[in-house]
Amino acid sequence: MLSNSCRIQLESFEGPLDLLLYLIRRDEIDIYDIPMAHVADQYLKYIREAHDLNLDIASEYLVMAATLTRMKSRSLLPIHRIDGEEEEDPGAELRRQLILYRTFREIAKELHRSEETWNDIYTSPGERDRWSIDNTSVEPGQTSLMDLLRALDNLSEDEIELPSQRIQRKLLTVSECIQTLEQIFHTGDLISFRSIVGLKPSRTKIVSYFITILELIRRGWISFHQAYPFAEIELKRTERWTVDS
Amino acid sequence: MILDRLAREVEALIFASDASLSIEKLCEYTGSGKDSVHQALDRLNKAFLDQQHALIIIEVAGGYRLATDKDFGAIVSQLFEGRKPGKLSRAALETLAVIAYSQPCTRMAIESIRGVNCDSAIRTLLERDMIRISGRMETPGRPLLYSTTMVFLEYFGLTDLDHLPRSSEIAELLCMSSSEMEEKDLFGAADGE
Repeated sequence: MLSNSCRIQLESFEGPLDLLLYLIRRDEIDIYDIPMAHVADQYLKYIREAHDLNLDIASEYLVMAATLTRMKSRSLLPIHRIDGEEEEDPGAELRRQLILYRTFREIAKELHRSEETWNDIYTSPGERDRWSIDNTSVEPGQTSLMDLLRALDNLSEDEIELPSQRIQRKLLTVSECIQTLEQIFHTGDLISFRSIVGLKPSRTKIVSYFITILELIRRGWISFHQAYPFAEIELKRTERWTVDS
Repeated sequence: MILDRLAREVEALIFASDASLSIEKLCEYTGSGKDSVHQALDRLNKAFLDQQHALIIIEVAGGYRLATDKDFGAIVSQLFEGRKPGKLSRAALETLAVIAYSQPCTRMAIESIRGVNCDSAIRTLLERDMIRISGRMETPGRPLLYSTTMVFLEYFGLTDLDHLPRSSEIAELLCMSSSEMEEKDLFGAADGE
């Protein structure tokens, strides 16, 4: 067991789970009975130390710090049980994560050992092709998106001039719509939404006028009637329009 | 020891092939049965061994390959100086481990197991052809799915994905909920470091 004073820098850990596993091992803690207060304190101690050393602390470490702090505070409070309701163990999910991560960490170590072994073995001819400087002749279906991205990377930026075209968007503002409506729409008139936008209206026109209608209804300048969903919307100009404007 | 015709045919095929040759291919080309080809391979390797050759036939990525003895790793590596990529980082290895066992899988799935951002590890693995984008998951956002490649198998000397270490145990583990894990008492079992 390593002594508590042994300082290991945060950089040597592959994330918060790795650090937690280290602490659990160091303090010989049973994963099924994690003393939440103790582990949370130890974890935060590391984060603070890293902070004091002006290290960049990845956000994942801070998320874990918050989770542990919450679990610690829960473990200190008396558990209030409602009859027939099973209290969910907040530690269970963390344990699951730790077990899974630990397993994959072991597998990564095994892969590393295979890598070491196979690093000294050269097969015929296969892998060497990939190390050669230029890869000639490519069969259809043999390339991937990565090849394309790599090729793009190899081109220096100033050599590429991508063709560009500016698409103008026609704007139809709500105030423009109100102005138009003011002219065609007289107090007491009954007018349908369809007749406002006209035949074959553009999408922009429908949307703009619809928003305008909503705005006018909100102001109380017009009233509306729709018999059933998707039926014609009938609008009526009220006296307030003239009064307010 | 004088090698028979079949063993020498197998040797020629494996030597000249540009990819590892499966047992089925070897049978097809030599017109022999699986048992005979397996025995021929054994005889070849015995001959290599008896005569202290620096070569051996190995089974990797679903087929057979001629390979150099690891004792000559240092001397052979001179041929590829500056071209051979370096070893994978711990982050890359962990990411690769997760992908290997849960493929095809999304970046989110990898990150939920590792508990850290895996962007750069994934990029490294894609660049080294260890993994590939194998599709998209049909969920909101349609995230990319990653799978391992043949290069991965060859690099780690694996015959196929079934030969990943502890494969059935980990497949089971990945499907378990937290309460099922509690019952299994997995954590108490061996902490081999």
